[in-house]
Parts: sequence; structure tokens; C-alpha cells
Amino acid sequence: MTRFAESTITFPYKRSLGPVVGAFMTALTDKRILGIRNGKDILVPPMEWDPTTGAELAPDFVEVGPVGTVESWTWVPTPSVQHPLQHAFAFALIRLDGATTPLLHAVDGGSSERMVEGLRVAPRWRGTRVGRIDDIICFVMGEVPETDGGDTGAAQEPVQRMDYHASITYRNPVPAATDRAVVASRNRRLLGLRCPRCERVYAGGKGYCPVDAVELGPECEVDLPTVGTITNFAIVTPVSYPGQTETEPFVRAFVLLDGTDVVIGYSPVIELPADEVRVGQRVAAVWASPAEEHDQEGGMGGAWGSLLGWMPNGEPDIDDPDLVNRIF
Amino acid sequence: MAAASGGRRPVAVVSFAQSDMVRREELRNDVEVLQPVIVDVFEKVGLTKDEMGFVCSGSCDYLVGAPFSFVSALDAVGAWPPMRESHVEMDGAFALYEAWTQLQEDDIDTALVFSFGRSSMSELGRVLTLQLDPYYVAPLWPDPVALAALQARALIDSGRYTEADFAAVAARSRRDALNNPHAQVKGEQTAEELMGDDYVVAPLRRHALPPITDGATAIILAAGDRAAELCERPAWITGMDHRIETHSLGARDLTTSPTTRRAGEAAGVVEVGDGSGAPVGVGVDVAELHAPFAHQELILRDALGLGEAVAVNPSGGALAANGVMVAGLVRIGEAASRIMDGTAQSALAHATSGPCLQQNLVCALAAEPAGDGRR
Repeated sequence: MTRFAESTITFPYKRSLGPVVGAFMTALTDKRILGIRNGKDILVPPMEWDPTTGAELAPDFVEVGPVGTVESWTWVPTPSVQHPLQHAFAFALIRLDGATTPLLHAVDGGSSERMVEGLRVAPRWRGTRVGRIDDIICFVMGEVPETDGGDTGAAQEPVQRMDYHASITYRNPVPAATDRAVVASRNRRLLGLRCPRCERVYAGGKGYCPVDAVELGPECEVDLPTVGTITNFAIVTPVSYPGQTETEPFVRAFVLLDGTDVVIGYSPVIELPADEVRVGQRVAAVWASPAEEHDQEGGMGGAWGSLLGWMPNGEPDIDDPDLVNRIF
Repeated sequence: MAAASGGRRPVAVVSFAQSDMVRREELRNDVEVLQPVIVDVFEKVGLTKDEMGFVCSGSCDYLVGAPFSFVSALDAVGAWPPMRESHVEMDGAFALYEAWTQLQEDDIDTALVFSFGRSSMSELGRVLTLQLDPYYVAPLWPDPVALAALQARALIDSGRYTEADFAAVAARSRRDALNNPHAQVKGEQTAEELMGDDYVVAPLRRHALPPITDGATAIILAAGDRAAELCERPAWITGMDHRIETHSLGARDLTTSPTTRRAGEAAGVVEVGDGSGAPVGVGVDVAELHAPFAHQELILRDALGLGEAVAVNPSGGALAANGVMVAGLVRIGEAASRIMDGTAQSALAHATSGPCLQQNLVCALAAEPAGDGRR
């Protein structure tokens, strides 16, 4: 029975717009649509460079539309949550009056039967506009622009940045070797896999030897010691970004397990202040209690299962100048 | 220009392997999908990774939502001791272009190229929307099917093709795929039967869309005499080029593919000579075209001037299996295989990237090296 790990990644970008895209977005807040002159052509939306030669275009803007003609369209019968409209609509290439190139946007056409090449359409503006392409909610049939709700007017300052939010949800199968390592961690066991070819041992539920590129099955499993020595570490001072929950400086340490060549990287330390961490320090594994295992993850996540990190075990430090080089 | 596209030193495809292309790899991660393919591609020529002068891969971290997934994928090759290695966040065909360029240098004779992708891990339409213009287009979330449908309608409106032509492409692809053990969508249906499919996004019916595919593929390139040692009939690369069009969809004529034509000219398989401006394909027995949507095959055929005598997509093409980041490199592998197995003397492979055939690569292959044949 395959287990799946679901995760959602968001991309909350702030994008700077520059003098050409910024001028277009600023004009949108004033319910005006700009093109840029490229020889005899008027490019809409305006581009910074000639699409054929790559030559930089002078900021020679021309107001177009706002009414235009549908050149090509496609019907979207079942919109997704990101789409501009939540009922069936058309994506269309719309050539605004005065433009040489068409603009891609949505058309609220009612039904696909009413969509036709040559259809005249006008923008439906958002009441509050911030300088984004979706300040135009969509285009509607006819020659008369609309505004949705109360009109709060044009931006007071030129628009220089825009927010762009994307989010994608993934559903990844968890490999069997990872799952076996997680299950073993519930019993305070640190599982390793020994490559039959090179004899190297790997922790972390990796089902293959990355040196010999051979698969490592259950027959390769060995129990690893849960006591080791810190070989190297870093103190991370957190900066604020989406998803960062740490607020104070914290340590990530590398631990060499006793009697092996296995180094476990990027481990949290527990009951050990950041300014007291030393190379050569002796540590033992700390495991989550059953009550803490509810989210199927300890402090290290993934295949480490219930392993939370490492804490001093009271033994004297090991004095070996070569230890610091052991990060793999 | 000819020297650049043909290369200074003959380079050939000597081995090709691919996984079965499937709707969903339920049980295996990228490394586990890739590893048997890497073993296979080496075994076919009796080589090991330690003999590779260069390794280059193509993949996309957004597919599985894992940063640096291309680095962990090297576990399938064996990345110790250190090797000369590179990666492109593109289809593997573009990784092959980089490897081919590297092989122009005289200090290496072989290269491994591979690519992998599990498109089933998320909503592929959402992932591919992230590659669009982030200012004017992406905030509207036009997914790749909607954009392809706009292109298809423009093609119908041009009067050159009809929906029935799209169905004919799909029917032929599925029939040809019956002979491809790795293909995902195959079957014996007529174009008339396929016309009974519902629209997904009009004017594209179900059969005109590519499947969502998980899979991996690998190719070994060898230069000069080394290629002839490793393979009885190497598939020599006689020319290769790739070109890109503007990101502004409205500024493109979506019914044609000028960059495919220009890449074909530079690769030496397209001539535009008779004053009419119409491209004419030259010296091609087989063409493997990376056309994820049925109508795109028609656009590409026109851009490359392929006549009725040319066998197009005998593997079934991207309509039979469309591994994102994989299907382009598979086209090169399938075209090369037709030369290696003796069924063709010459072939071309095409790979694409971006919305509506924005970027295009053409690779010309032949049973004999180009030019003076210097190895």
C-alpha cells in the first residue's frame, strides 16, 4: 500500500515592472490601455524589444481600444479556481482598435454559440485597480466598457511592482525504503542500507547506492548506532520569509555515527544553546514520544521519522582535527 | 553557419533506451524510474559511466516540486568519482544539444544524455502556466490546452486544415504506437471514429491532446572513430540547430512555425529555394516530430516541407506518450533507432518547448557522417 506525501508550494513573487510594462500597468488603473510604437506597428501589450530583431523600443506609447475585435477564441467549459471567471468563458486573442497585435484575455461570452471571429468586445474593469493585467476582469460583448462596483479611481503614483501568486499542490508517492526507515524510527532504530558492491552504508531511507547506482532492498538493511560526534555545524540566523517558523539563531550540525562512516547532516541540536556547540562534542539521538508522532514527522522530517535531533550525552569531547572535514 | 550547425567533428547516437511511458508511476521516484534506463543504455554498447567524457541531463524541478531534483537524479548514474556534468531545465533534447557541442572539443569521445519527468505528481496545466509571461499572461492562468486550442482555431480559420485532419493525425499515431512497446496511448481506430470524441477545449477533442506521461530516457553519443567501434550503424548527427520565438503570443503567427523552418535550414534538411518561399524537406526518410497536440504536427510538417514519402512519427509520437522534459529526447532516440536498425538512411528529429511551439530544435541524422567524413 503506497503512502503519499502531499505538499503545497507557493510562489509569492513581487515583480518589478520597469518603464514599459510599468507604464502599461499604471495606465490600466486609469482605465486606459497602451500600446508601443514599433515602426508602423502598435504592439499591445507593449514590449520592451522588437519581437523580430530584438532592438530596444523607444517608450513611444499610443492609447488603443478600449474596444476591440476577437481574432481567435477557445471555449473553457470548466474553469479552474485561478481562471478569471468561475463560469464557462472564452480565452480570446483580441485586437484592440488601433493595435497591430492582439491581446490575450478572457471574454464573458455566455455560451460558445455566441462566440465568433470578428465579435466586438469591450473591457469590464475592476472598480479598484492596482496595476495588473486582471484590472480588466474580462471583456464583454458590445462597444461599451463596464466597471464592476464603485470606481476608486486611478493610482496616485506610477505602478512599479506587481504581486504574482502561484501555488501548486503535489502528491508524491513515498518510496518503500523511506517508509521502512520511518517505521524503524518508531522503535528508536536508525536504519542504514549497506551497498553490496562498495560496502558504503547510507542512512535516510535512500533505496539505492549513489556511487554504484544499484538498488538497495530490505536485504541490505543494517542497524546503525544512535550515538556519535559533531564534526561540523553552522549557526543559522533566520530571516523572515513565508514558511520560516524559526525566529532565533539555531544550529544545524553534522554527526558522525560511532564505528561507521555515516555522517548525518543538517541535524537540529536539542537542549544545547547555539553558542555552546563544538566540533568533537559527543551526542545521542533524541526521539519523538509516541504522542509527538501524530504528523508522521520528527524534527528532521522525511525518512528520519521520529528522530528529532541530537543532544549531549555527557561524554568528554573527542579531540581530532580531522573531524571537521567529515561532512559526507 | 553550415560549419556551426554541422559541427567540426562527426558525432553519432550509438545507444538509446527508454522506460515504459505510463500515466502514473505510483511506486517509484525519479531515481528509481531512471536507474534501469541508465543500466540499459550502457549495456547496449558495453560501456560504464566511468567511461563517459560528459554527462548532461534535462528535467524540471517544478514537476515534482523538489528543488535540485536533478542533483539527486544523478544517484541513478553514480556521481562518484566526480565527473564532468551539466543540466538544463529543459527537455533532454536540449541537453543533447549541449553534449553535442561539448563533443566538438577533441578531449572527450563519449557523452551520456538523459532526461526524466513525472508529470502526474501535480496539476500539469498549472505547472506549465508558470512558464508564461508573468506580467501580461500568467495571472490569467491560460493552461497549455487552452493556448493550444487558440492555435488550433487559428489554424482552422486559416483554411489550411480541419478538425478531421487533426483526427487523422491522432488515428495514425495510435495505430503506429501499436508497434511501440513503450507507448502509452495506442489503438486501431479510424479518424471517423475519433471524431466522435467530446471537446476538451474546443476545437480540440480528446484525441487531439497528449496523454499525461511519467517516464525517462537516455542516449549515448560518441564522436569520430569511437562511434564506429561502439555501434554497427551509428546514427550520425549531420546538423542541429534550435531557435526561439517571442514570448508575446499575440506577436506570433501561431499557424506557422518559422523557428522550426529556420532550425531545419541550419540543420541542412530544409531548403527554401524556388522563390515561392515554401520550405522543401531534403534527404529525410523518417521524421520524428515533437507535436504534443495533433494540429501541431500539421504545422511542423509544413514548416519542414515534409512530403508524403516521409514516414512521420512511426513511434506514435508525442500523442502516444508525452513525458514532459522527455518526449523531445525520445524523438531523437526513435529517429536514430530507425538508422541504427537499418530501416532508414536519413532521419530528422524535432523537439519543442514553451507554449504553442515557441522554441524548436531540429536534429538531422544519417547513416553516413556529413561532409568529408573526417572522424
